[in-house]
Amino acid sequence: MKIGIMSFAHLHAEAYIGNLRAIPGVEMIGIADDNLERGQKFARQFDAHLFPSYEALLAEQPDGVLVCSENANHRPLVEMAARAGVHVLCEKPLAVTRADAQAMIAACREAGVILMTAFPMRFSAPLQQLKARLDAGDLGRIYCLNATNQGQMPIAHRRWFVDKELAGGGAMMDHIVHLADIFNWFFGRDAASVYAQSNRILHADTVDVETGGLIMLQYDDGLFMTIDSSWSKPLNYPTWGGLTMELISECGLTVVDAFSQNLNVYRQEPPSNQWAYWGSDMNQAMIAEFVAAIREGRETAVTGEDGLFALEVVLAAYESAKNNQPARLNSNYQTT
Amino acid sequence: MRVGIVGTGFMGRTHAAGWAATPAEIVGFVSKDGDTAVSLTNQYGGQLYPDLASLLADVDAVDICTPTHLHHEMVLQAAAAGKHIVCEKPLARTLAQAEEMMAACDAAGVKLLVAHVVRFFPEYALARQKVESGEVGKTAVIRLKRGTFQPKKAADNWFVDFEKSGGMMLDLMIHDFDYARWVAGDVVRVYAKNISGSHKNAAVDHGLAILTHANGTISHVEGSWAYPPPLFRTRLEIAGDNGLIQFDSGQMASVSVHLHQRGEESPDVPLPGSPLSESPYTTQIKEFYDCLANDGMARVTAVDGYKALQIALAAIQSAQTGQPVVIKN
Repeated sequence: MKIGIMSFAHLHAEAYIGNLRAIPGVEMIGIADDNLERGQKFARQFDAHLFPSYEALLAEQPDGVLVCSENANHRPLVEMAARAGVHVLCEKPLAVTRADAQAMIAACREAGVILMTAFPMRFSAPLQQLKARLDAGDLGRIYCLNATNQGQMPIAHRRWFVDKELAGGGAMMDHIVHLADIFNWFFGRDAASVYAQSNRILHADTVDVETGGLIMLQYDDGLFMTIDSSWSKPLNYPTWGGLTMELISECGLTVVDAFSQNLNVYRQEPPSNQWAYWGSDMNQAMIAEFVAAIREGRETAVTGEDGLFALEVVLAAYESAKNNQPARLNSNYQTT
Repeated sequence: MRVGIVGTGFMGRTHAAGWAATPAEIVGFVSKDGDTAVSLTNQYGGQLYPDLASLLADVDAVDICTPTHLHHEMVLQAAAAGKHIVCEKPLARTLAQAEEMMAACDAAGVKLLVAHVVRFFPEYALARQKVESGEVGKTAVIRLKRGTFQPKKAADNWFVDFEKSGGMMLDLMIHDFDYARWVAGDVVRVYAKNISGSHKNAAVDHGLAILTHANGTISHVEGSWAYPPPLFRTRLEIAGDNGLIQFDSGQMASVSVHLHQRGEESPDVPLPGSPLSESPYTTQIKEFYDCLANDGMARVTAVDGYKALQIALAAIQSAQTGQPVVIKN
């Protein structure tokens, strides 16, 4: 099976290229990038073939591509791949506007190709264990969740992450979608209302997007949950951030820290304290699912519709933060 | 200074230990529970009074440790008698009650101190001091958690009577509403949900609230009466534009005891706190003593108690209506 990577704008491409090469029977045919300098840099770094254009990459008739362009630039690449009849794994968030996300879903459906949204948390072993316990009914009726997906302000990774046009926003666009998708995975897509407050106090001198965000979601059956999407981890924090959840149910309290599987490493020289992750590689499991779905000719475990749902939560959060009122969640993802 | 204590439940007993560590004379107690009161007079001296009126005749200050719905009437009575007052949190059950209590104390020229004890817990006091000194810069996102089980009582459990206690949000979350305001200033908007508002037949309560402060800080406050006994956990996280402060009572416990089950009952109310040479409750009473006896400053005022009540009532209203509640300061 042949897979290529379209754009290295997103840093996750740097992990995915190794994930692809680790899967037996997968040939990582190369990369293409509209930023020639960036393409050359990563082609050199990863010893990969650099195609002169996206068209040239698609002309090789790969079975699938990973789209890792800037958030706002997913649509043209996904549509190009769909026209070429190539399956797509698209980086999260699926898009930054509803129209783009819907167009991408429609294009892939018409072309009969897979559109998978890259939500690696679905493949997190700790979260899969929680999902299994929920499905088994071990926890009883679920009442509410307090969840966080905090991180460092990501400007050091890529400058466009804090560019309103290219990223679509700041901390809320960056960090709501993972948890919104986990809620969708656990409880379905019938979320009803979203309340959010945001601010720009952290890194106010450096960026013009929101850096703090608190979001409350409620489902029609009463289930409610909060998300802290803030870029509130200092730049010298021992790791990039994390994802946690505390769940209150009929049967008690369940606490999950998806990134707690670390060694604490202390050194004489800076960085004096680092956390060294030893847990399972969720990116590897996600890329493996994309490849397996192509091989088996089936839907992926995470779809484009799932990506749209998570985006709807983000859009509702922006609307609420602007109006200081809870926003009704747009439910058009159910009918696309 | 002569002090009397009204109410001899968990808080009355705890405050008695605090007063015993001050130069004040404990004149006596008013109690519905004769046995507990006798054990307290045996331990701390003083006598058992049949009612508040008779106690007031013998004291300079009174410490009101009764259920929330009784604070209003008792504070008015003490103010009318010209006595200084320490009142357990929440200051009152309603804002109208609190306003009347504060006006009565002002008119009588007596002090009204509200026992928001979290301000006296060293981890919370130190975190706030670090914010005040600018160590983490301007506050941006604050997270506060206080989770435990629903308080039990052998009889007449007023905690679970919403009319009397105001429920979990007013009884428990008010600690962190007050602390959030102490750290980041006045709150202008409150949005909250709780289990009792969302799942009518649930046996437990748990609340999540998003506060917006006048200075732009946003605070996430969590309170729980849904944890299995005897679990009690508090957590704080203050993210400022120059750093982060974290505390977690579970992760940072200095003593953890894990015993084979011996069939022991958990306590009626959780016993908070790290091992310390002085209980934060005693630290609080000492500061209140200094305020009353020597005209010293207390770190918490009646206005603070009022504003904490205002935030808690706004959270309850938001959970009931599904709408954010705006607070005018």
